[in-house]
Amino acid sequence: MQTPVTEIVWPLGVYAVAVLIMVTATLAISHVLGERHSGRATGEPYESGIVPTGPSGIRFSVRFYLVAMFFVLFDLEAVFIYAWAVSLREAGWAGYAEMVFFIGVLLAALAYLWRIGALDWGSIGRKSLDRRKEESRRDADDR
Amino acid sequence: MMPADFTALLPYLILTGAAVAVLLAITIVRNHRLTAGLTMAGLVLAFAALPIALSAAPRAVTPLVEVDGFTIFFDGLLIAAAFAAAGFSYGYLQRRRIRREEFYLLLLTATLGACILPASVHFASLFLSLELLTVSLYGMIAYLRTELFGIEAAIKYLILASISSAFLLFGAALIYTDRGTLSLSRILLPESAAAGALHPVLMVAGLGMVLVGIGFKLAVVPFHMWIPDIYQGAPAPVSAFLATVSKGAVFAVLIRVFSLYTISSESGMYAVLVVIAAVSMFAGNWLALLQTNIKRLLAYSSIAHFGYLLVALLAAGPNSVTAAALYLAAYFVAILAAFGVIAAVSGSGGEAQELEDYRGLFWRRSWAAFVLTSAMLSLIGIPLTAGFIGKAYLLLAGLGSAVWLLAVVLIVTSAIGLYYYLRVILTMAQQPAAENRPAQPAVLDSRLGNIVLGALALGILWLGVFPAPVIEIIQRTASSVLPF
Amino acid sequence: MILFFLVLWLVPGAFLAWLAGRVRPDLSRWISLFFLAVQTIVLVVLWVENSGVAGPAPQGRWWLEASQPWIPQLGAAFHFGLDGLSLVLCLLTSLLGIFSVAASWKGIQERVGFFHFNVLWVLAALTGIFLALDLLLFYFFWELILIPLYLLIGIWGHENRSYAALKFFIFTQAGGLFLLLATVGLYLVHGNGTGVYTFDYMQLLGTAMPLQTAFWLMLGFALAFAVKLPVVPIHTWLPDAHAEAPTAGSVILAGLVLKAGAYGFLRFLIPLFPGPAHTIAPVAMALGVVGILYGALLAFAQTDLKRMIAYTSVSHMGFVLLGAFAGNAFALQGAVIIILSHGLSTGALFIMAGGLQDRLHTRNLSKMGGLWSVMPKMGGFGLFFALASLGLPGLGNFVGELLVLLGTYQVSVVAAVFATLGFIAAMVYSLWMVQRVFTGNYAGDGKVTDLDSREFVLFAVQALALIILGLYPQPVLDTVRPALANIQSDASVSFRQPASAQSSAIVLAPRDSIDTASIPFGTEGRP
Repeated sequence: MQTPVTEIVWPLGVYAVAVLIMVTATLAISHVLGERHSGRATGEPYESGIVPTGPSGIRFSVRFYLVAMFFVLFDLEAVFIYAWAVSLREAGWAGYAEMVFFIGVLLAALAYLWRIGALDWGSIGRKSLDRRKEESRRDADDR
Repeated sequence: MMPADFTALLPYLILTGAAVAVLLAITIVRNHRLTAGLTMAGLVLAFAALPIALSAAPRAVTPLVEVDGFTIFFDGLLIAAAFAAAGFSYGYLQRRRIRREEFYLLLLTATLGACILPASVHFASLFLSLELLTVSLYGMIAYLRTELFGIEAAIKYLILASISSAFLLFGAALIYTDRGTLSLSRILLPESAAAGALHPVLMVAGLGMVLVGIGFKLAVVPFHMWIPDIYQGAPAPVSAFLATVSKGAVFAVLIRVFSLYTISSESGMYAVLVVIAAVSMFAGNWLALLQTNIKRLLAYSSIAHFGYLLVALLAAGPNSVTAAALYLAAYFVAILAAFGVIAAVSGSGGEAQELEDYRGLFWRRSWAAFVLTSAMLSLIGIPLTAGFIGKAYLLLAGLGSAVWLLAVVLIVTSAIGLYYYLRVILTMAQQPAAENRPAQPAVLDSRLGNIVLGALALGILWLGVFPAPVIEIIQRTASSVLPF
Repeated sequence: MILFFLVLWLVPGAFLAWLAGRVRPDLSRWISLFFLAVQTIVLVVLWVENSGVAGPAPQGRWWLEASQPWIPQLGAAFHFGLDGLSLVLCLLTSLLGIFSVAASWKGIQERVGFFHFNVLWVLAALTGIFLALDLLLFYFFWELILIPLYLLIGIWGHENRSYAALKFFIFTQAGGLFLLLATVGLYLVHGNGTGVYTFDYMQLLGTAMPLQTAFWLMLGFALAFAVKLPVVPIHTWLPDAHAEAPTAGSVILAGLVLKAGAYGFLRFLIPLFPGPAHTIAPVAMALGVVGILYGALLAFAQTDLKRMIAYTSVSHMGFVLLGAFAGNAFALQGAVIIILSHGLSTGALFIMAGGLQDRLHTRNLSKMGGLWSVMPKMGGFGLFFALASLGLPGLGNFVGELLVLLGTYQVSVVAAVFATLGFIAAMVYSLWMVQRVFTGNYAGDGKVTDLDSREFVLFAVQALALIILGLYPQPVLDTVRPALANIQSDASVSFRQPASAQSSAIVLAPRDSIDTASIPFGTEGRP
């Protein structure tokens, strides 16, 4: 069963060479064809000439990420449920029980998120307002 | 799934259940004491379920997970360590003005991941449980969001752990390409070689990458760079968790791999491991000499200790698994006690990390100093402490298989290591230089933390004087199933 | 059971003393004294019962033996045995324990409870060393004495204490690790050869192994014992540790810890590895002679009183090494007598040095002088113990050194001649010390006080013991003789070897008739 090294490695080699050619070519072509100039604003972030103002570290609303995370969390489950639905009969009651448990866990997570105010979409939701009040009260207690 | 499968998986199910229960508890009422109590109750229940699971062992539940004596022993060790870490966290977090409850959620999921690792006999379960552990750890390390060191540590850990996971995955992929299987027990067998295209290049590259991935997690030289920063930046209870649960679980995987295959002492792989072990022992002890920060000191010393542990594995004799398991248990108890003291003496302002902070601790807080002293003595391997029995067993395993070189390196580097452990003890015994330092804010003792510390100190002494029952347990569980 | 009692009795005492120290410092001292006194009484009773004074002498090797399983998986047990040698050393331990507690009555005023905790802890561990008959157990106690000594030096020591404590610990622990390595090696060799894996001393005696292996294992043991004894090239921890330790620490170090090294040579190294021990005997004896002369020379050069006494210990321990390796009955008995009398005389000198330091706040010899005029009692005792140390006939040291020289003479005339030079050197440094401390003109302000009654009694007891040991050493010699005879016979039994090496096996005749120089070094055991 001993296959020679070359037989296994040559596709890898071809692949590696292709990657190298691709990268080199991209850089080289843009180097050759690219326009070159050195104006006053070349080094600026916006070559249009608009001078940037203010720091770069501006704040995004965290909710921006929250949407993405919710999407991942609650859409991915669909994949599992779908797979289970396809093999419903084969999986039997054991599969059903497992799925119930799975969805139960997801629901618990949802309840948790609801509770901590992750679903309040207003700039300052009612829940999160309450929460902040509660936290500041507890801080005072700690002191 | 048969009922026996559920019996075998009972500890994991309980841990999962505990995580969900804690989640719901936080949803209903946010209370630190309740959350910590639930977590610890869950851990205790999971621990109590281990003998039940043992009754079903050995049992392969799906091709992914093998519950046997070895698994049960390590799960017990990991759960106990997680329990101690949770105990320290309570007092530690109680002093901080942050949201405390979610920490326990992360701790439970991380423990679950760690517990499945020793049972993993398949790359899929190995990788999944490792990621479950690692991802939870990101959150735990960065849990104190206002501490810059913590954030930095978490980001470093995130990057390095991802890289090591990538290595592990890539290595597994290469092995799969060669062998057509991901089952750990079958990748080196001739029949799987017959199924796929046996090829040394892919196999060696794959094994090498897996080794790199595991080496990163264990922080052995040359994959050790991350560990001092992470230990230093993480909150002390999390450092304790990292040092024990995370590394111990990965080491269990390594033991299992070693138990499945006999690595010939002529092979290149063996030579690489010998070099890794020797250099880890040496570099870890040597670099620890230079530290003035106790958490960094413990980090470097842990590099050395995992070097010692590799000696037991490389010996591959009849005593190897017992020696490794016993040493790991002794190391767990000592290092947990050490980090527990760090957590206990840290005020709300920041952690007591510099050695100077411990000056005169004997006379300020005798109890904490006593525990830390016994932990340090155990790490040295002085009689009366667990470390002595561990080290004696390690030497026994090493000399029994005539790995003289490693045994001598172990002895010599242990002698080097004396210096920094003793320095900690002596610093605690010195007069506090009260004049030039601002008075430490008075720290409220956490009763729970003290109880756990007391149990650990007792454990260090008990294991050091009457190790026979523990060795008995190890021989009945951990080493009985392995064909060493 | 009485043996377990001997080892464990001081442990509750240690904890009680610690707790009592929190209430009243003096209570802690009295508790320590009480526990040590009970220990001493029990030992004396055991001595009288078993030594043949009150009834027939016991048959068999051990007067008493006790064993409880410890780590059955490894074949290690809590196995203790008492014979004459163990008994006198245990007795020395508890006596010097009493002296060191009494000597620190005034000198230690800080953390008194913890101090006595550490003192009793060392003494308990030392008792364990002298009684253990299981090699792992022996190692256990061997290492156990380090921590309390480290703390004693590191907390209550003098100016340079951290350095000295660390140096002491690292030297002895490094030696100890090689002891562990060799112990485990011996265990495995015995186990592989016989199938019985055990750490038991009696079973490990006469383990058959190739001489090459035996030689290396013996070196591991030798290194550990040589550090403790100390043998000259690795003695450098000793002056620092002795000089910086508090009085009690110095007494325990000089009087007992060094003796643990000597005991190791006698009880373990020579009987367990008779062949290699015989091989290195010329080297060891040479080192002993070098130690005698070198220690004396350096003692003469010291300006620090405690350092000076420390170097005299190096010199005296050279005699012990010489005696142990000369190996005949005279030399071994002499070594034991030196162990005892050196413990008493050097202990007394250290207590004196501590007393002087408490009064004058210096250990510098050049700042003393003329003290006889202000404290005649101290001067008298100082002269007495200095004379004891130089080996004045009629005192203990003389008997021991004479016996060692007699024994050595039968084995090697050269060694005996050079060792005799040590007598002269001892005379020089001892008298020189007395001269610098006590005679001459007193330069101080006259406020120093002479011995108080506590110190007087302390010194008187030690002086009396030295006189008895010097004039009538027979009871002690009778006590240790059977034990030493056993060691001798273990050392001279034919050295069993595996069949492969049988052709070159050597049979050691009784030591007295063998000229060690005629045995070629390291050629045995090669097939």
